[in-house]
Amino acid sequence: MISFDKNQLFIVTGASSGLGEATAIMLNSFGATVIAIARNANRLQIMKKKCRYPDNMHLEIKDLADDINDLPAYIKKLKEKYGKFSGLAYCAGITDVTPLKGLQLETIQKVLNIDYLAPIFLTKGVCDKRNNIGNKTSIVVVSSLSGIIPSKGMLSYCGAKAAIINSMKVIAKEYSALGIRINTVSPSDIATPMTQTGDVKSFVESRIMNYPFGIGEPNDVANMITFLLSDKAKFISGQNYVIDSGGVL
Amino acid sequence: MNKKDFLVDLEDILQREEPCNASDVLDDYEEWDSLSKMALMAFFDKSFGIKLSLKDFKDLKTVEDIIKLAGEKIQ
Repeated sequence: MISFDKNQLFIVTGASSGLGEATAIMLNSFGATVIAIARNANRLQIMKKKCRYPDNMHLEIKDLADDINDLPAYIKKLKEKYGKFSGLAYCAGITDVTPLKGLQLETIQKVLNIDYLAPIFLTKGVCDKRNNIGNKTSIVVVSSLSGIIPSKGMLSYCGAKAAIINSMKVIAKEYSALGIRINTVSPSDIATPMTQTGDVKSFVESRIMNYPFGIGEPNDVANMITFLLSDKAKFISGQNYVIDSGGVL
Repeated sequence: MNKKDFLVDLEDILQREEPCNASDVLDDYEEWDSLSKMALMAFFDKSFGIKLSLKDFKDLKTVEDIIKLAGEKIQ
């Protein structure tokens, strides 16, 4: 059975909705202290109300795309406020449907900022040995099945998600000597606000038949993230886990 | 850049808990590994326009020796 101690501090980004919310609530329910980061203060407060141990859920309002180069310093400030971190669950994400013929640099940059650059610079902060507990630190970044199986119209998202899988493997190699474990998860479409609005919704509906069990739930992914962050996964690093009910087989 | 600022930057590059001093012996730093050297190469390139290679690190004994690599860029 997975359990955490309240002295174990985990940062969860994108914590106000979808996978981040599910992960923050799950880690907290298993006893960990969570630093929940998101842009929207109201939605973070709503998330906190659903928590089992609200005293161990700390909220931080932040737009990760604001100053990506400054994210390692931001982690340092959080360390000074809360203590050394046991890990990070990077669950913030944005998607975009724009085919090549409609592509603007600004569009792809926005996706790269949140889906590729911000997780790397946050990881840089957490991997700094002054900010983590050392051996047993674990980092999980949410990629996507789109990082493995490309879809028409999603070149920004598919590119960023493919890139983060491989870059995190590089970081896993660089930090294995310090005992830091780094993995990514690649879910297929999950029922979250990101996939249930606008153009993306109809896009997702058009490919549901690819997944034997239909659309996934946030907890299907949060379970895997929680496992990878826990000591039960102490022999696992540098991997990417597809969570798609067997669709890509 | 003055020497004092460089020592603070070096502490950050090496991710050391303790401050760096010019007289410190590099082999006494557990952080002094090949990845730290590559990070320092990137720093020299960006900050001073000096391109170092791993060979340049071979004979370094102390932090002062790193400072010498920057020539007049570190006063």
